[in-house]
Amino acid sequence: MKRKRVHKLHMDKGQWQLQAMVLPAMICFLIFSYVPVMGLINAFLDYSITDGFFGHEFVGLKYFKELFSDENFWLSMKNAVGMSALKFFFTFTAPLFLAIFINEVPYKWLKKITQTGSYLPHFLSYVIVATLWMVFLDPNGIINEVLQMLNLTGAPVEFLAEPKYFWWIGVGIDCWQESGWNAIIYLAAIAGINQDLYEAAEVDGAGRWKRLIHITLPSIGWTAGVLFVMNCGSLLSGGPVASNFNQSYLLGNAFNRPTSYVIQKYITDEGLNQMRFSFAAAGNLILSTLSVGLLLTANKILKKVFGRTVF
Amino acid sequence: MKLKIFGRSREDKAFNIIASILCILIFIVTVYPIWYCLIYSFNDGADAAKGGLYFFARKFTLENYKIVFKNDAIYPAFFMTILRSIIGTVLTVFLSGLAAYGLSKDSLIGRKVYMTLGAITLYFSAGVVQQYLLYREINILDSFSVYILPNIYQFYYIILFIAFYKAIPQALEESAQIDGAGYFKIFFRIIMPMSKPIFATVALFSGVWHWNDWFSPAFFIQNEKMMTLPGVLMRSMSLAEAQQTLQKMTSAVTQASTTTMESVRYAMLIVSVLPVVIIYPFVQKFFLKGMMLGAVKE
Repeated sequence: MKRKRVHKLHMDKGQWQLQAMVLPAMICFLIFSYVPVMGLINAFLDYSITDGFFGHEFVGLKYFKELFSDENFWLSMKNAVGMSALKFFFTFTAPLFLAIFINEVPYKWLKKITQTGSYLPHFLSYVIVATLWMVFLDPNGIINEVLQMLNLTGAPVEFLAEPKYFWWIGVGIDCWQESGWNAIIYLAAIAGINQDLYEAAEVDGAGRWKRLIHITLPSIGWTAGVLFVMNCGSLLSGGPVASNFNQSYLLGNAFNRPTSYVIQKYITDEGLNQMRFSFAAAGNLILSTLSVGLLLTANKILKKVFGRTVF
Repeated sequence: MKLKIFGRSREDKAFNIIASILCILIFIVTVYPIWYCLIYSFNDGADAAKGGLYFFARKFTLENYKIVFKNDAIYPAFFMTILRSIIGTVLTVFLSGLAAYGLSKDSLIGRKVYMTLGAITLYFSAGVVQQYLLYREINILDSFSVYILPNIYQFYYIILFIAFYKAIPQALEESAQIDGAGYFKIFFRIIMPMSKPIFATVALFSGVWHWNDWFSPAFFIQNEKMMTLPGVLMRSMSLAEAQQTLQKMTSAVTQASTTTMESVRYAMLIVSVLPVVIIYPFVQKFFLKGMMLGAVKE
């Protein structure tokens, strides 16, 4: 209460200072985030790079029609949805399990090194991650070496040249890279659980398993729900890690194209390599609309389950 | 923990053992690939190619690193990466911290609108093609600004800052206000010194992001001299080009060299990972705190 009054007294005097702090950020957001979104209107125009930013001819749904009749669009859409669905399931649940494992470990040193080790991959550039796994998955790489040593395969497996492996490789890399980092939030939520609950349950004779099921899991349910909604917005770019484009661009090749070619890659190819800017804008517009739709739907689901929403 | 009087049941022991084993496995899986890179990069290339290299370097050599550092492309790229990381991070930390301070004040007129404007940027992205067109229009393609300008403000960082500021006791600020200090003065004199953990956290996030970003060099930069390390690495990923550059690199040193493309590549990876790996354990306790505050806020 008191705080409010002090602010009121100084409002006029300090207002310009506050505005001066905030406005540069807003201007940057407008230029670098909002202008490109507004540029998606090019999907309905005949944009050509020589004419500048404004004054292009209106062509209606021409580019959407072209898009829908292009089989590459459907291929890339199918891959984006399939790979993202897989990734969403695994990269959403893996951190939850990791946090529970770490929490249940009785030794402090082990907790610490596991946690510290598990964030390490998060800090690596995707180029490095991709190079790393490219060499590991090579026919002469260490993974094949180990598989052959254990007599699991005869001839070396061409992991990156066979379409059937690509989605799983994507899932695996995502789990490897981001599980530790994404577990931090769950660990924080677990740390915030009232310890009296556990002690009371223990007195009542509840074992470790029962305490995990009846106290730990329900207590982090809301956190998981919030993350679920937040991640739904990036569903088509690959779920929580949003790595579809990175993987498609850096690990995709002519051999695994049937499963590695995703919508973001398709849009970039058409836009930047073929210079079909309006066409690319049409693709992006569809993608953005779908993402927002997913986000809002997820928020509705959350409301049904928990009775409250993120937004 | 406290109720040891009940003794350890069999269930207890089973839990401890299973969780411990899983954690050890997870630790190995996450860290081993990087360890493997490290030993490979210090091992003689021809020897490593025979396989069977698992735990330690077998034939120790520095040859791979010598080749990496003899490459003319590496130094400018290294320099560029450092330059953009430092400039980008300083600007981001300072300006985002300041904007967040303004946004944390209830008396800011239009606060709700600003917050909504910012929050929407978290969910909307128009894609790389639209970015390209914009950067082209405002003439920052192929210049150093393309590394810095578009990424100064990140709303996620601003949220982290605001969460931290809200936890600072108001009394100090109020007394300064009564003494007639303006918001800028309060920010520099009181808020910044008290918010070191969050400044460190955001600096780490931003620094690592700049250090690792391969997107800008790949799509918005063509000039070789402006390339950053991830840009160079990315180019060396496409095999044909990698073969060329790496062969040039290897043959330039000695004919009798036993380094291979692979071993040099591993050395290059280690060189570009090293700064991050060295820094992050030290700032770890800061970013954990920062992240958790953000999580609680959500």
